[in-house]
Amino acid sequence: MQVKSLLFAGGALLVASSGALASGFQVGLTGAKNVGMGGTGTGLYLDQASQFFNPGAFAFAPTGFQVGGNLAIPRISFRPAGGDQGQRDLQNTNVVPFSGFIGFGPKEGKWRLGLGVYTPFGSELHYAQGWEGRYSLTDINLRSVFAQATAAYAITPQLAVGAGLVMLAYGDVDLQRDVPVQAQGSTAPLHAQLTGKADRKFGYNLGLMFKPSDKLSVGLSYRSAIDAHVSSGDITLTNRPAALASSFSATKFDVTLPLPDVYSVGLGVRPTEKLLIAFDANLVGWSRYQSLDFAYTNGVLGGQAASSSKRQYQDALAFRLGGQYQFGEHFTLRAGTFYDFSAVRDGFVTPETPDADRIGITAGFTYAINSRFGIDGSFLFEDFRKRSQSQDDLISNGTADRVAGTYKTTIAVPGVQLYVKF
Amino acid sequence: MTTFFSFNTARPALALLGLGLAGLAGCQSNLDGPSASPGTLDFTSYVAVGNSLTSGYTDGGLFNDGQATSYPAILAQQFVKTGKGPASFVQPAFSAAKKDGSGYIKLQALNGVLAPVQPTAANNYLSEQVARTGTPLPGGDQLEAYSGPQPDNLGVPGISVLSSVSALTRGLAPYGAINPFYERLLTAAEKPSKDYVTYIGQKTPTFFTCWMGNNDVLTYASNGGVVAATNPFANLTDTMRFGIGYRAILTSISKGGTVKGAVANIPNVTSVPYFNTVTVAAVLASYKAAGLPITAIYVTARTAATTTVTAARAATATDLLTLTTQAYIAANPGVGPSPAKPIPSDYVLDPIEQTEVTARTTQLNAIIAKTAQRFKVPVVDANTFLGSVASSGIYTNGVNNTATFASGNFFGLDGVHPTPRGYAIIANEWIRVINAYYGSTVPTVNANDYRGVLFP
Repeated sequence: MQVKSLLFAGGALLVASSGALASGFQVGLTGAKNVGMGGTGTGLYLDQASQFFNPGAFAFAPTGFQVGGNLAIPRISFRPAGGDQGQRDLQNTNVVPFSGFIGFGPKEGKWRLGLGVYTPFGSELHYAQGWEGRYSLTDINLRSVFAQATAAYAITPQLAVGAGLVMLAYGDVDLQRDVPVQAQGSTAPLHAQLTGKADRKFGYNLGLMFKPSDKLSVGLSYRSAIDAHVSSGDITLTNRPAALASSFSATKFDVTLPLPDVYSVGLGVRPTEKLLIAFDANLVGWSRYQSLDFAYTNGVLGGQAASSSKRQYQDALAFRLGGQYQFGEHFTLRAGTFYDFSAVRDGFVTPETPDADRIGITAGFTYAINSRFGIDGSFLFEDFRKRSQSQDDLISNGTADRVAGTYKTTIAVPGVQLYVKF
Repeated sequence: MTTFFSFNTARPALALLGLGLAGLAGCQSNLDGPSASPGTLDFTSYVAVGNSLTSGYTDGGLFNDGQATSYPAILAQQFVKTGKGPASFVQPAFSAAKKDGSGYIKLQALNGVLAPVQPTAANNYLSEQVARTGTPLPGGDQLEAYSGPQPDNLGVPGISVLSSVSALTRGLAPYGAINPFYERLLTAAEKPSKDYVTYIGQKTPTFFTCWMGNNDVLTYASNGGVVAATNPFANLTDTMRFGIGYRAILTSISKGGTVKGAVANIPNVTSVPYFNTVTVAAVLASYKAAGLPITAIYVTARTAATTTVTAARAATATDLLTLTTQAYIAANPGVGPSPAKPIPSDYVLDPIEQTEVTARTTQLNAIIAKTAQRFKVPVVDANTFLGSVASSGIYTNGVNNTATFASGNFFGLDGVHPTPRGYAIIANEWIRVINAYYGSTVPTVNANDYRGVLFP
């Protein structure tokens, strides 16, 4: 009496979007000035965050140091299809994406060298106790820190190129779900927790900036894909029926989470000395993420040595518009907006990434204390389109390992950043 | 990306900044669902008529925990959410000290192999708090009498349409003296004479459900197509008496067609795990695993559709062995591998008998459909619904519940009756049909909140 392919086949797994401010589980919160302008930056050379947005533009950026953090405050609601328990609100958890950059180089020189750390992917979600989708996911916490070393060179005063060596310096994952197997005398089903640390992995980014005049700049950039890989993560099972120990014997897991590459094109226009308008378009290569595959070692889970769950993400476009205006000596105000298309197809929405097309509005400011020191503030509000999937959708897509219903998410993110110009 | 502090602690500080973030971020989006409404229905006195499936019988027994998750109890609970539900829904529970009623099957590991174990006197009823009095009745051990008000859940395990109407057997087989689940509901004076159709007529429902007829084919099928001589209700019920009996039942519970309700038809019993777990291939495989050079097992099977004569022959994949066969073989060494000692006919539903059972099921379902139409009540097509569960399983919020024995979580350990999870899924199907027919919006239930099979 083997307990069939039960369970892990379905499931849940990596990653979601509580801090996610771009399609999938990207977190678009690098650089407070950029956040305030709708997340633009490919065509701009405002500060050290150019290393992230367009290493080519970094050649034209002032040298300096900056560090900032954000408080992402998500509000995620879920209503199950047909069920009567009504709406499920998450135990919303705030997350704190951060970024810091330093850039060196001769003040008017042709080259720049820089270092940065930032958090472009991550998610933390804790669903309500006993919620409908507990057999897909109960909790997820995915964290990642990237580090980057960048070099940029201005070939001419109009044209610059740059490249960065990007490292997934730290990543960890904590995934939890219930498994529909219950022991005699237990009121709770089997619960599985998968925790692990990501291997260090390298990637790169490349950028080019063309600046025909002080009034116009055009940028192109590319950020490579990285396969985040957890090897020998730990499996912890609770409430396991003793008689099924041999069907749920695995202690370790391996998983690969493909992170997308990103193509960006951006434009910066300065009609006057004080006004800057920016436009960005991004193409995020989410189609790399076709399935989430776990391999179990030292045994099996639900009688299976591996599991696979369909994702079939699609490449996602985002369009961003932002601007800033300088008032007097010390003060700059910013505003922006963006529209971000979902990477997740209809009928494929998972609890770990309740993704949807979303519109964002942003605002920000800089207060320059003097010519060297200043503070940047940003605020972002993001409104996901309400997204529903029915059980019939899930069955026809072969994605019935997740739950039918309607998700709705909004996120508010205040952020602050300090900078020094050298 | 660590959580440094919760938003609640941050709120005063942010408010001081005058950013007004608390307002912007603090509001959770509301997703409005359809509101629960009874439509034109009145559920204030809901009464359920039926057999074991209605009583909440699971894991081969009737006991308080199983009753609590019967599909009528779940329906009553959901009806309450419309604002027009019953103030209480009475089920014939056993006393607290005998809460395990007739006792129920448990999975136990025997020599490292999981097996369903029946509660018996020999194993001290698996330490369950059974309500058996020690007096045997023709249909099993007598159970503690129920003394409360007449229940709203009138489900009686074992009852068929034929045994519900005493006139159909000319009063010769008083059901109150035969079936312990019915006997315990009746007073001493009622036992010799009051038949089920009269008993249910005592209720004054505002809404009823009726799921009858399963035992008119199942009793025969689960006994391997052998009519037990001691049981007057052991054969397939003929269509004429079924039609008369079914009309009598609906007339009685609907007060002559004046009360609204819903009925369900008879599922094809050959698709339940009881007939699909111990397969011929599995028996052969177990011989092979034991190192025995046995390549065929022999069964006692019908020789032709036109006769009840049986003969021994080699079993094929189309012969359905009952779930109880494994235990029988274990207890009777030497039975099976030889044509001289075939597996008895009552453990085998051979293709001739399968055809009889499914053909009769189709005939009886046609009677149910026609009668329902006459009484203007919708039919839950349990035959189609459970057929689809058997063929592909049914998903409930990310979980596939299948007809696989034990691990499928839909059917309990007797291989015939659903688990509480299965009953919740069935309740949702009733709700779907009731809503579609009457225009009500009774909410469905999260079936995953109800247990599947419990493992040791």
